[in-house]
Amino acid sequence: MSVELATRLIDILGGLLLFTMLLILAAGQLFRAIYAVAAQAVFLGIAGAVLAAATGNVDLWIIAGITIVAKAVLLPWLLMVVVNRVHISREIESVMPASLTLILAAGIVVLAFHLNASLGPVRQAITGNALPVGVTLILIGVLVMASRRKALVQMVGLFASENGIFFTAMAVSQGMPLIIEIGVILDVVLGALVMGILVLRVRSSVDTDIADLEDLRG
Amino acid sequence: MDAIIAQVSRTLAQAVLLVAAGPLVTGIVQKGKARLQCRAGASVWQPYRDLLKLLRKGTVQSDTASPFFRAVPVLVLAATVTAAALVPVLWTPGGGDLPFGDAILLVALLALARFLLAVGALDAGGAFGGMGASREMTVGLLVEPALMLSVFSVAVTGGTTELGLLAARREALALSWTAPDLLALFAMLILTLAETGRIPVDNPDTHLELTMLHEGMLLEHSGPGLACIVLATHVKQLVILSLVAALFLPLGLAQGWGAAGLGLALGAFALKVLALSGFLVLVESSYAKLRFFRVPQFLGLGFVCAFLALALRVL
Repeated sequence: MSVELATRLIDILGGLLLFTMLLILAAGQLFRAIYAVAAQAVFLGIAGAVLAAATGNVDLWIIAGITIVAKAVLLPWLLMVVVNRVHISREIESVMPASLTLILAAGIVVLAFHLNASLGPVRQAITGNALPVGVTLILIGVLVMASRRKALVQMVGLFASENGIFFTAMAVSQGMPLIIEIGVILDVVLGALVMGILVLRVRSSVDTDIADLEDLRG
Repeated sequence: MDAIIAQVSRTLAQAVLLVAAGPLVTGIVQKGKARLQCRAGASVWQPYRDLLKLLRKGTVQSDTASPFFRAVPVLVLAATVTAAALVPVLWTPGGGDLPFGDAILLVALLALARFLLAVGALDAGGAFGGMGASREMTVGLLVEPALMLSVFSVAVTGGTTELGLLAARREALALSWTAPDLLALFAMLILTLAETGRIPVDNPDTHLELTMLHEGMLLEHSGPGLACIVLATHVKQLVILSLVAALFLPLGLAQGWGAAGLGLALGAFALKVLALSGFLVLVESSYAKLRFFRVPQFLGLGFVCAFLALALRVL
């Protein structure tokens, strides 16, 4: 695969990643957000495969495969199980108006692309717009975590943020060492498991929501 | 002079095609929805029969309506048909310098039709007309800027707002989409749903007073006037679909009046419109109508996508 074709494909995949991120942010229902983050992981896996084909880096093939299996199948499935078990309302509640989060997201994208201009030396030929897209995903993931009341949606935000870190790492440094990537993915899976169990336990023992914890006073 | 005559004749031919095929597209969408619901559904020609039936009927008018009310249907149809003449459907512009096909004019004509319809609905003095008009204008307020943004994001690369030139340029590039194009396309698809009055935003099948947007404004019209407005609705839907096709999928446009090129262009146009109607059918069948106060959030997604498409081009 030629470098130009890879750059264009990564560019298009970056656009798709941005779009799925906006879908997560604008989703009104829990299922939609989970589907969107699964789709985002699929695009991330494809991006990994494209980079692997372009650079001939075998590790990237493995990472792309693990990404699709772990993040596009395993984690969304885990979230679905938790959603079905806790019988929460499926509407996503936000601490601020949805339109405001969308405006903030637009601001973040503009900021990331603007900062990108001053990061010239970091940009490499093959990555196209990957760096600002990755930074945008990380920041909007944080925005999702900060602006949503439900722990499950905050987990979706964490996964999206994690996808952004992966995309940045893959595109800018053309893949971290395999052992680190696997370690990071294991961390995410473990974190998701812990959070899922925590949500289930909190729900079953005290029947409260994460947002209610803010009312606690020492 | 010849070039101008050729250009005018092409423009008229495209307008005639869009007006003639408008009801058919609605029929196809309705048929597709019926099939997905495991119903046989009415024939795809049903919208034509409805139009003929309406044309044969007499007109009943509210006592409170002013004489302007009678002119509204014709004006709405005129604005929409003029808009239909501006979309490059079959031909790329060759020769001729008349600015037929300016995107800003196209959006303005659609906005004019919307405005006239709303004024007519308010004029008749019915409660539902006023409510429908107010809602339709709210949706219009959210849709039109986003529509302009996504058109501009394509226009920035071409340096023109002439739709024909933009289509020809993209065809010459062999459809090489970049990330901003994709975002603009997604924005357009979201806006298409709102602009054609389809389900997440409006429900074209209902006359339930609490959910009506577009239909609410039509309640006071009857007979040939209603036929004009319904035809304008069909044409507007096809104009929007053709606009998406012209901006993002301008394949197989013909150069002159040659039979082979023309046949190819017609076939390509039919395929593109069928694909976009399939999108409408799928979305209509798999989503529920949004609560009206949720609509700004849905359209906000379209707006942000369109804004980002433009921002990515400029940055």
